[in-house]
Amino acid sequence: MSEYADPSVLVSTDWVNERLNTDLKIVEVDVDTQQYAAGHIPGAVAFDWTTQLQDQTQRDIISKENFEALLGKAGISNDDEVVIYGDNNNWFAAYAFWVFKYYGHDNVKLMNGGRSKWLDEEDKPLTTDTPNPTPTTYSVGETNPQIRAFAQDVLQVVRDGNANLVDVRSPDEFSGKVIAPPGMSETAQRAGHVPGAKSVPWVTAVNPDGTFKSRGDLEKIYFEDAGVSEGTDTIAYCRIGERSSHTWFVLKYLLGLPNVKNYDGSWTEYGSMIGVPIER
Amino acid sequence: MNHQTRVYDDIFEMLPDEDNPTPLVRINRLNPEPGFTLYAKLEWMNPFASVKDRAASYLLRQMEEEKGLRARGTNGPEDPGKGIVEPTSGNTGLSLAGLAGVKGYPMKAVLPNKVPLEKKRMLKLAGAELEVVNDDLCPSPGMGEGSINLARTIARAQSNKFAMPHQYENENNVRAHMETTGPEIWKQTAGEITHMITSLGTCGTVTGLSKFLKSKNPDIKVIAVAPSEGHDVPGLRNKSQLSVTTLYDESLIDDVLEIDYELAYTRAAELFSHEGLRAGPSAGLIFEGGRIVAERDKTGLGVMIFCDDAFKYATNFAKHMPELTEGTSPMNHENPRPVGAAKE
Repeated sequence: MSEYADPSVLVSTDWVNERLNTDLKIVEVDVDTQQYAAGHIPGAVAFDWTTQLQDQTQRDIISKENFEALLGKAGISNDDEVVIYGDNNNWFAAYAFWVFKYYGHDNVKLMNGGRSKWLDEEDKPLTTDTPNPTPTTYSVGETNPQIRAFAQDVLQVVRDGNANLVDVRSPDEFSGKVIAPPGMSETAQRAGHVPGAKSVPWVTAVNPDGTFKSRGDLEKIYFEDAGVSEGTDTIAYCRIGERSSHTWFVLKYLLGLPNVKNYDGSWTEYGSMIGVPIER
Repeated sequence: MNHQTRVYDDIFEMLPDEDNPTPLVRINRLNPEPGFTLYAKLEWMNPFASVKDRAASYLLRQMEEEKGLRARGTNGPEDPGKGIVEPTSGNTGLSLAGLAGVKGYPMKAVLPNKVPLEKKRMLKLAGAELEVVNDDLCPSPGMGEGSINLARTIARAQSNKFAMPHQYENENNVRAHMETTGPEIWKQTAGEITHMITSLGTCGTVTGLSKFLKSKNPDIKVIAVAPSEGHDVPGLRNKSQLSVTTLYDESLIDDVLEIDYELAYTRAAELFSHEGLRAGPSAGLIFEGGRIVAERDKTGLGVMIFCDDAFKYATNFAKHMPELTEGTSPMNHENPRPVGAAKE
């Protein structure tokens, strides 16, 4: 993993296993929230992406105050080293990582391969015991709004063409054949993609065991094959902002692109706006 | 145990083998090629009404021998026992739950939400505890499937309560067909079988049957049918969905026929209305494979595995065949006639 632009944000399952019962804080964030209850890494707390990482009234990420309360209750202090992992190759773990970074928590890492890799390795323990952390007082200092894109940022790129737009959804969503994967409740009014966006489904960044591909492979996928420009700003988007957090992580930390933003409004917002251009 | 009088001491004695095979019934009105004989093997005649009774009985026996299953209450009234957890699209779970219940073992079935409601209710009737997971949002290689990962987690984290046979990786799933289904078919056709037609799911059936039948006669053609992309035929997989199973061996299969999944439903309906065979959707798809092979090869004797019957799939049938819903209520838009009113 040392080959990546910023290897400090990615740790292996072995690395985590060697640090159980230390001060390391472990957080599990799953798409399927049943997984944690069935068994998890000893000491890990779980955050529910639907109820704990998003504002429950307006469509937004969790507020600063609620983020502070959430981490405080989970026993996480400002200086703690935090490792996040989850199912579906770290989809929502990457989303949580992005929220941590947004609220300025520097020392946060993803566990490479996520929950599935941990399960595959017989030497890795699992428990159904839930930890009982001692609450802390967490206070957000400086935030990092530069890692988040809003609709107006995307429209600016559509107008000026001065940044990469990376659409990480499935090919059928990109082409407009479907608005959302079957059965999804979050959808949009129109199908298609943002004009000028490059299609690089998130899954192309991972190996069969769920770990990230090598830097060389990733460079070929994004730069050579998809035509993402290395020197310019980049916005990644998907449907609701979770798969694009995964790609945002790849582009920013593994490939070291200079200015990468996650557009968490993503297609559910863009595809529902009146009068914006759409390509199919 | 007496197969002739069909008097049994328990349900285990009814499990199929060479001496107690599931029936082979010839296709008559729907056979497109008179020179080609097509037989359906009615796996719904098994005790729990599907082909999965075979694998389930082998898997349960293995878990008893290797994982120390324990009936509820063995060590006092509070003892929850040690039972089975398994990811299932329904049929394996139903067979396992039925067999486990007889022995007093707990059973937890982990299933994707797309499994028909009928199967979920049947599992509960059989005493299984259900864990239902959302269907895959965006499947990817190696990610595994939600139900498999959840079952694996339970088996690892709660190994004192549950053991997981893992039908997608367990060679006993293959062995069941090498030792029961294969010998049954060989005996029932007096060794004259030329084509074996089945489907792909865990692939225990196709792999086990191919290994046995080709050992008897290497010229036997083994044909697998697979539903087209985006299908909703429960229990079946198309080629892009096979990464979860280690039992698929391409070298043992002569042809994989990809078939429009809508035909699973329409062919099944034809089987019921023309042949008296109450086929489920997977049997409908396999029958389409049999038709294709008969028309292509002109002569031969083909055996099709009809995995289960239609009863558990009324919801799915209704989705694909809207006409099944018409006229089933006293009053609807097509027939706005109040209950009891005289027909004009």
